[in-house]
Amino acid sequence: MENTKIDYSPEKITKKDLRSVFIRWLLGGQLGWNYERMQGLPYCFSMIPVLKKLYKKPEDMKKALKVHNQFFNTNPYLAPLILGVDIAVEEKEGIKSEEAITGITTGLMGPFAGVGDTIFGVIAGTVFGSIAAYMGQDGVSAGVFIWMIYNVLRIFLTYWFIGVGYRQGVKVVSNIGGTLRNLTAAANILGLTVVGALITSVVSASVPVVFQMGKVKMSLQTDILDKIMPGLVPVGLVALVYWLLGLKKMTSVKVIWIVMLMAIVLYNLKILA
Amino acid sequence: MQINAFQVIAITLYAFIATFDMLETDLGLSKPVIAGFFAGLIMGNVTLGLAVGATLQLMILGVGTYGGASIPDYMTAALIGTVFGVLSGKGLEFAIGLAVPIGLLMVQLDVLARFSNTYFQHRADKYADEGNIKGIELMNILGMLPWGLSRAIPTFLACIFGSTIVSSIVNYFPDWLMGGLKTAGGILPVVGIAILLRFLPTKKYIAYLLIGFVLASYLKVSMVGVSIIGLALAMIEYSKISKEKAPAVSTSSSLENKENGDNTNMVLGDE
Repeated sequence: MENTKIDYSPEKITKKDLRSVFIRWLLGGQLGWNYERMQGLPYCFSMIPVLKKLYKKPEDMKKALKVHNQFFNTNPYLAPLILGVDIAVEEKEGIKSEEAITGITTGLMGPFAGVGDTIFGVIAGTVFGSIAAYMGQDGVSAGVFIWMIYNVLRIFLTYWFIGVGYRQGVKVVSNIGGTLRNLTAAANILGLTVVGALITSVVSASVPVVFQMGKVKMSLQTDILDKIMPGLVPVGLVALVYWLLGLKKMTSVKVIWIVMLMAIVLYNLKILA
Repeated sequence: MQINAFQVIAITLYAFIATFDMLETDLGLSKPVIAGFFAGLIMGNVTLGLAVGATLQLMILGVGTYGGASIPDYMTAALIGTVFGVLSGKGLEFAIGLAVPIGLLMVQLDVLARFSNTYFQHRADKYADEGNIKGIELMNILGMLPWGLSRAIPTFLACIFGSTIVSSIVNYFPDWLMGGLKTAGGILPVVGIAILLRFLPTKKYIAYLLIGFVLASYLKVSMVGVSIIGLALAMIEYSKISKEKAPAVSTSSSLENKENGDNTNMVLGDE
């Protein structure tokens, strides 16, 4: 018996819904990651609380589940921004906006992946990682806790993102897109400054070759190389590996094996220590 | 030294939880230096754990699984390396010599986990057709199993057979190999640095690389000091380019067209 009085109209999205989508993404945003759709299944998983509120008809729900279960992959910390935009559009337009939803998610995921991976992955990882590692080498654990405190603060930042995305909708790109791009450019400078410092401080390689002419002994490392420039050997090695990585069909894992083999050979030839 | 049951369980659990953390909350438990710290805590030698983790950390700074790429698993390597280092009593170099190959071999299991999850994706597709929400949710959550087990099982086995493995390595590994691995440990951070240089716009901003280099190698400024100078330089650049007011900001119209299904390209992002 069909009850004609069923109310199919969508409910309003509340702050609580945004929070539950965020928590789902925070705790499940990459669990179902797979080579075929990457974060597709997790994206669908995260959107479910909102879908339940918006799509009361079973056929709408099925359609919505399918639309959200497509290929998706972006930086996990900026994903809440995209989720927020998506929620805003769907609340306004409903299931008929499915093409727009796919357009928005796929249109935003690429640029946000670039920006987010640079800021949160490369730069933060390099800065906090090198500080923690430096202190760690001396047996000091403070760096470990500094990094973890930053990570906790970052979680609050990403929670803020979902609200920003929801309130600004697709305008988010024009409103904060420029800021994010400028931040990335500036962050690259921080990253490169730190990387420049890492080259000599992190790499411990020296050449133990000693020349002997009559009574005069000359160490290649301390008497020649260090006079030219401190850290000449590490700089040369970085240049070599940088070049290797640019070769076709070269992967970072292959390069690591190559460097290990090279180190073992050069050590036994007494060229490197 | 021997490893006790509590330590085996704690290290194995840590591997599973840190894998979850790597994917989701990212409090940092999967970072080699932090994993090494906790492994050291469990094994009763924090200094060694920290040193093992720190050395591995420097090999993989800022290198991430961008776009779903697999990278050496130095988290598991830090756990197992610390355990082996403590069990053997042979110190940092020995632990690193073993940890690096372990981290590289673990890449294969990372690939396997990512591949296994395709099964759950297909099940989820079926549930989507049926409108089975609970099923979809379950499939996503089950995705944690391949991820977690791919790290926890090798860690567990390494802990269980640790003493046997370590003593046979100590007895049979020739000096030329251990010495070579020690040298390799010293220069492997080069790879991490070179990967970062490939990822960052090095050619455009090479001046800052030189500044950082001089600060550390000639002026001996500490890492925190270099970071602060780098931050200052970044702030100067940021206020400069913000004033310039990039013209590419006018993407809003092209995006709003997307709502109507128009196929327009986005301009945001790195070039």
